[in-house]
Amino acid sequence: MGLFNKAEQKVPILLLIITVVVIAMATMAAVTFAMGDKPPATASKVSLSPVPVAEPTQPQVETFVKMADPEIPPLAPLGPPPIPADNPMSDAKVALGKLLYFDPRLGGDASISCATCHEPEQGWSFAEGISRGYPGTVHWRGSQPVLNAAYYNKLFAAGSTPSLESQAPSAARGGVAGNGENDIMEARLRLIPDYVNRFNDVFGEPWPTINNAWKAIAAFERTLVQRDTPLDKYLLGDKTALDDQQLRGKVLYEGKARCILCHNGAFTTNEKYYNIGVPRAMRWEEDGLAQVTFRFEQYAKGTTEEMYRTIKDDAGLYYRNKNKWSMGKFRVPTLRYTKYTAPFMRQGQFYTLEEVIDFYDRGGFDEEGRTTSFPETKTPLIQKLGLSDEEKDDLLTFIEALSGDEILMDKPKLPPYKPLFTRAELQTAQVEK
Amino acid sequence: MVAIVTTRQCFLAVTLGVGLAIAGQVVAAPEIGPLPVLKVNEARAELGKRLFFDKRVSGDVGVSCATCHEPENGYANKDALSKGYPGNKHFRNAPGLINTAHKKVWMHDGRIGTNLNDVTREMITEDYIMNMDMRIMQERFKQDPLYVEMFEAAGLGEPSNGGVRKAIPEYLKTLTSRGSPFDKGTMSASAKRGMKLFKGKAGCVACHNGPVFTDGKAHNTGVKENFDVWLDPQRHQAFIAYAAFMGIKNYMNLKRDPGAHLQKHAADGSDMGRFITPSLRELKYTAPYMHNGMSKTLADVVGFYNRGGDNDRNKDARIKPLKLGKTEQKDLVAFLLALSGEPLTSSKHVWQEAYPVEYPVIANWLNVPN
Repeated sequence: MGLFNKAEQKVPILLLIITVVVIAMATMAAVTFAMGDKPPATASKVSLSPVPVAEPTQPQVETFVKMADPEIPPLAPLGPPPIPADNPMSDAKVALGKLLYFDPRLGGDASISCATCHEPEQGWSFAEGISRGYPGTVHWRGSQPVLNAAYYNKLFAAGSTPSLESQAPSAARGGVAGNGENDIMEARLRLIPDYVNRFNDVFGEPWPTINNAWKAIAAFERTLVQRDTPLDKYLLGDKTALDDQQLRGKVLYEGKARCILCHNGAFTTNEKYYNIGVPRAMRWEEDGLAQVTFRFEQYAKGTTEEMYRTIKDDAGLYYRNKNKWSMGKFRVPTLRYTKYTAPFMRQGQFYTLEEVIDFYDRGGFDEEGRTTSFPETKTPLIQKLGLSDEEKDDLLTFIEALSGDEILMDKPKLPPYKPLFTRAELQTAQVEK
Repeated sequence: MVAIVTTRQCFLAVTLGVGLAIAGQVVAAPEIGPLPVLKVNEARAELGKRLFFDKRVSGDVGVSCATCHEPENGYANKDALSKGYPGNKHFRNAPGLINTAHKKVWMHDGRIGTNLNDVTREMITEDYIMNMDMRIMQERFKQDPLYVEMFEAAGLGEPSNGGVRKAIPEYLKTLTSRGSPFDKGTMSASAKRGMKLFKGKAGCVACHNGPVFTDGKAHNTGVKENFDVWLDPQRHQAFIAYAAFMGIKNYMNLKRDPGAHLQKHAADGSDMGRFITPSLRELKYTAPYMHNGMSKTLADVVGFYNRGGDNDRNKDARIKPLKLGKTEQKDLVAFLLALSGEPLTSSKHVWQEAYPVEYPVIANWLNVPN
C-alpha cells in the first residue's frame, strides 16, 4: 500500500516481543485483551503471528475463555436500552420521532428519509453491500441496522459518533447520505402545522428546531429493540427456547469458534475495534460511481495527499484517530437480529451467515483466499477454527437464535405543508410596509 | 426635475433622509456606452461552458446552472420566481447572466461583491440552489475523461473545485452583449427619443448608468412583494433558510423581502427592501422583471416608474411620478429594447453535446493512483 514506512514496520516486531513477554506472564493476558484494538496476548496455543497461521490449530479456547473469564462478559438477556438524561422518553416524542424517521423532507432534495437506507423490510438496514446513498451518488459502506442501535456506545461502522442524537444529523447531512442542510430542513418542519404543534407539545418551544428533531428520532429509535429472542428466553430460564443443535452451537460460540471473545455480553459485542481480515469490497474495482465516492471519503475524512493517492480500501478507525495501527479496524457489531440484516460486514462482503462462518473458519479469508488490505493490523484473535460442517451448522442455528421475529412497521401518513400566512395577512403587510 | 448626482451622494442623501436637497452638487453619472472587450482564455471558457450546462454540478444531479439561467431567456428565466433546487423552490427571480462578468456586485441583495469565483461557489453550494458538496463534485469530474482532458488543456491541472470556480467565470465573460442597436448606432427615432427621456425627464440614468446600465448600488424603488414567496411553502422554506442564515431579525414573521438589509442590518429597518440596480441590457429576453418578477413586461416596468413606484416607507425619495405621456412611455420601452443584442444561443455559447449517463469505471483501479 505504500502507507507504512520502514520505521513503522518495526512495530510488529516490537509487539511480538511484548506479546511473548505477556504470554510469560499469563495473568496479564486478559488485561491486554481488554484493550481491544491492541494486538492481544492470547493463550499459549494461539499463534503469535499477526498474519494468518499456516495450518489449523486446535486452540484450547475453553482454557483461554476460562483464563480470561473475568474480562469476558457472558452472554446475557438484553435489558432495556440506556436513556440519556438529556433526552427522556415520552410517547409523544416517540410518535413524533417515528414521523420524522419516515419523512423525506429531512434530506437535501426531500426525496429520501432515514427509512430509505434503513428500511424496516430490509432489517432496518439496506439490503445491498454498499448503501444506495443520496440521489446522484452511492454510499461507500453498508447501512447499519437501526434496530437495537440504541445499545451501542458509538454509532457508525468505525464508531465515529457517540449517540443516536448525533448520528442522525451526521447521516442526514452527509453528502452521500441525506445531503440536507440544517437551515432548510428546519425551515421545512416549521411549515408543517402538525409538526409545529407536536414539537411545541414535546419540547415546549415555539418552533421546531432541527436539534429537537434529532432528539425525537433518537427517542423513536430507542423503541426499536428486540429483547425476546430465543437466547433471551433461554437465559431467562426457558430451557426449551434453544434446541439441542442450538445448544451445541452455543458451546462452539463460547469455545472452539471463539465468537465470545468479541461478541460477548448481553449485546453480543465488546464494542472494540479489530481488523478481522475482511477483504476489500469488489465494487470499487467495478463501478465508476463507487470510485467517485471512495475518493470523496478519503478527501472528506482528512487523509494525507499520499494516502489519498494510494489507498484502495476503507481504513475504518484510522480516519478517527489517524493512528496507523488503527488501519482497517472496525467496531465489533452485535449479532442480534442478523437473521434479517444481510449482507454482512462493512461493505456487505458476505451475503449469508454461512459465508461469514466460513470466513472465520478459514481464519479471516474469503473463499478465494482474499483477506484484509491492512495485514499489519489484522488481529491474532482470528485463527483457523477447524470447524466441521456439522459444527458450522450448529453454530449457525445458534446465531439465528439471537434473532426473534422480524420487526416490521407500516410507514406513517406524513403531515402536509401549509402556508404560514394567509393572503389577507400578506396584503395587510403590503399596505403597511 | 431630474437630479443627477454621484452614487456616493445618492447613498448619503438617502441615508440621511434629506432627499434631494443637494441640487447644487449635481454632477454627471458615468456615461452609458459600449461594453469593454474582455480578454478570454478560450480553453478555460470552453471548460466553463461544459460545466455551466452540466447537472452533475448539483447535489442530486437534478439541475445545472442553465436550469434557471436559460440561454433563450438571456440566461434568465421565464418564471417570476426561480426554480431552485429540487425539494424546494427559490424566492427570487433568476437574473440574466449576459454581461455579469462586467459587474462589480452580484445577487439582488448585493451580498457578494467580491468576484464571480465566489458567486459561483455560492450558487453551487447553497442548499436551496444547487446543494452540492464540492468535494463530491470534484471527484465526479475526475471520473469523466473529457473533463480530465479539458481541465488539463485549461491549465487547471486535474479536476478540482477551485478549477470549476475559475472556469465558469471565464465562460461567463463570453456572455457579453454584442450588436445591440444602441451599440451599433442603429436606434429607431422612437428609441432615440426614449434615450433622451432616459437621460432626462424619466431620470433612469441616475441609477442605470455606465456601460452595464447599473450603478451597482442597492435602492428601494417600492416594488410590491410577490406573495407566492410565502403562499408556496416550498419557496417560503428557502426564504426562511436564507433569512435565518443571514441573521435577519424575526425571520419567521417576515412578510417582505429584506433585500440589501442584510448588508448593514439598520436597526430601524430603514434599509429593508433595497435591491441592487439591475442591468438594462438584454431585457428583450429576460422577462419578467424586478427581483421578484412582479413586472411582466417592459411596459409594466415603465408604468411602475411612471406612477412613482408602489408604496414602501423606505422608498428612495427620487422615485416620484414621472408624468410621462403614452408616447413617451412607448419611446422609453423602445430605447430599453434597443439595448438588447443578438441572442447568445448558438453552440458558441451553449454546450450542445450529450453528457455521459454513467461514470466510466477506472480500469486497473488497484494499480493506478487515485
